[in-house]
Amino acid sequence: MQTQQEHAFEFTGKGWEYFRIWIVNLLLSILTLGIYSAWAKVRRLQYFYRNTQLAGASFEYHGTPIAILKGRIIAFVLLAAYTVAGQMNPLLGILIFLLLAVVMPWLIVRSLRFKLYNSSYRGLRFGFSGSDGGAYAVFLLLPILTILTLYLLAPFTHFKIKQYQHNNSRFGDTFFRFDATSGNFYGIYLKALGLLLLAGVFFGISAALHMPVLMVILPLLYLYIVGFLAVRLPNLIWSKTGLGEHDLYSRMEVGKYLWIAFTNLLGIVLTLGLYIPFAQIRMAQYKFSCMGLLAQGDLAEFVAGQVQTDSATGEEAAEMFDLDISL
Amino acid sequence: MSVAAQYFDGRTATAHGVTLTLDGEWLQLRGDLLAREWPLRDVRVSERLGDTPRRITLPDGGHCEVTDHAALDVLLKQGGYRSSWLDGMQHSMRWALLSALLIVLVFAAAYRYLLPWGAEVVARSIPPNMLQKMGASSLQTLDKLMLEPSKLDPARQQALREAYAKLSPLPDAQLAYRIEFRSAPQIGPNAFALPDGNIVMLDELVALTQDDDEIIAVLAHERGHVEQRHALRMVLQSSAVGLAMTWYMGDVSSLLATVPAMLVQASYSRDMEREADEYAARTLQLNAKSPCLLPDILQKLEAAHAKRQADARKENGGSVMDYLASHPATQERSALLCPAH
Repeated sequence: MQTQQEHAFEFTGKGWEYFRIWIVNLLLSILTLGIYSAWAKVRRLQYFYRNTQLAGASFEYHGTPIAILKGRIIAFVLLAAYTVAGQMNPLLGILIFLLLAVVMPWLIVRSLRFKLYNSSYRGLRFGFSGSDGGAYAVFLLLPILTILTLYLLAPFTHFKIKQYQHNNSRFGDTFFRFDATSGNFYGIYLKALGLLLLAGVFFGISAALHMPVLMVILPLLYLYIVGFLAVRLPNLIWSKTGLGEHDLYSRMEVGKYLWIAFTNLLGIVLTLGLYIPFAQIRMAQYKFSCMGLLAQGDLAEFVAGQVQTDSATGEEAAEMFDLDISL
Repeated sequence: MSVAAQYFDGRTATAHGVTLTLDGEWLQLRGDLLAREWPLRDVRVSERLGDTPRRITLPDGGHCEVTDHAALDVLLKQGGYRSSWLDGMQHSMRWALLSALLIVLVFAAAYRYLLPWGAEVVARSIPPNMLQKMGASSLQTLDKLMLEPSKLDPARQQALREAYAKLSPLPDAQLAYRIEFRSAPQIGPNAFALPDGNIVMLDELVALTQDDDEIIAVLAHERGHVEQRHALRMVLQSSAVGLAMTWYMGDVSSLLATVPAMLVQASYSRDMEREADEYAARTLQLNAKSPCLLPDILQKLEAAHAKRQADARKENGGSVMDYLASHPATQERSALLCPAH
């Protein structure tokens, strides 16, 4: 058994530094009626990627603003078509909705490919080789089945989506792997459901005792459930993800996460939004400080094991639809 | 000038410590087992982004990461590399503050000029049958929430209806008008126009005066609100403000975003009241009635509301909904409507 070496992520972004970049780009986005926001998005991602350090090297984002602009125009047209058609004629609205549902998995695959191919670390690109068929199964078929089973299948669907995404992702020539089971997902969702039931019981007790003061606890409990899901799911997903023989981990804590999310919200509201860049930096700092890589052997061995043959990226670039639909 | 850098060849993940130097037009890369050079113009240097490592993309498929910003700047300057105008802006506190100021100005200008103009264009393009539907559904909602059937003597109702029917509309009027009599003790003396041209007249307002012409003056004022689509414009404006707030605040719940929108757009703007006053004055003149009728009834309204407020304050220390809050001072309106008064 080889020794494992732990390498934590480190996020080095600074609030004031990012604020200056953010506000200038926001102004330009507003003055150009949103067109420049594609350039602003590329800068934001570059700033966050380059400030994310792992084992002495940072990540890089290579996406071009034009590709993002194209994706946004497509998304805008689809949404506008759906809204307008639905207003004019409900039947036409349903037709466009069905069309959207059929096109969406295909678009998601292109978008994932774009996102991963345009990310790199130590000069090697990430990649995505999920098939369209797989995407239709997890992004169309399973969601329909989920609704038909009154959401009993929801944790399973979530599991399959993450499995499809992570098993088909690569770093250079090395594939990621996803070792979670659907049972892991059901465990977390059932705990959240249990907390929700607890809230219900609590509500019943405080109503029966005519003690409305106890109701104050309800929103707190609800907030805790939201934080619980926002922390435990990423923890599970990343801790069960590996790269080749190496493992990743995420160890966020619900209390700390909620504190940051709450103070961020407060800051944003009190400053009419000027705190947004600071809030994003704080959250990224916390999330990355809880994440890391468990490398088999030492770092030199991990690094030496990562290679990229030309065929892998060449194929990807040629087939690139150059589209990013995530807004 | 030599710059320390990490070189990655793009095929393996291994980092090589190298130094970069400039020899005329050529960028030279030197490491333990490496010695390469390229014309500087074939090399792509990423823009500065805070303190993040800068990336030099090389023609061989590899790249260098540089964290010694000062040294790289000197080297690039030697090579005649010019950074973009945006580069300076993104890193200066002065530009950050100026941008914040400009953003506020742009929003203020859009709110003051663009929004009312856009709302008017949209409001005017809504077809009459849509207005009818909107009017009917708002009356239904109001009836359910706050209005009671009128207790006004049917003869007085009929007289007012006839007097109003006789009032000739201005030539550009587009809608048919009717009066709906209702009562609402908790609102007090009031009248309001629905988008379809129906005007809700409250018993409490009719009770203020014996002179039917004064009621007609109020009706003409409300008709001005309808003809100029004031209510629709207000609704469109407040929903646009709500939408913009939601977009700007992003993650913050949309509930938070609608609160300021509601506060900002609580009632008709003063400009709208002035427009409706003017419309009423023109209608009254067309019908050979004195434009001073409107200020007369307005004064009575103001007095009635002041009394209600004083009563409410006496009773429970609170204040009732203030109908006249957005109305320009009654004195000022009188002066505009009938200078001889």
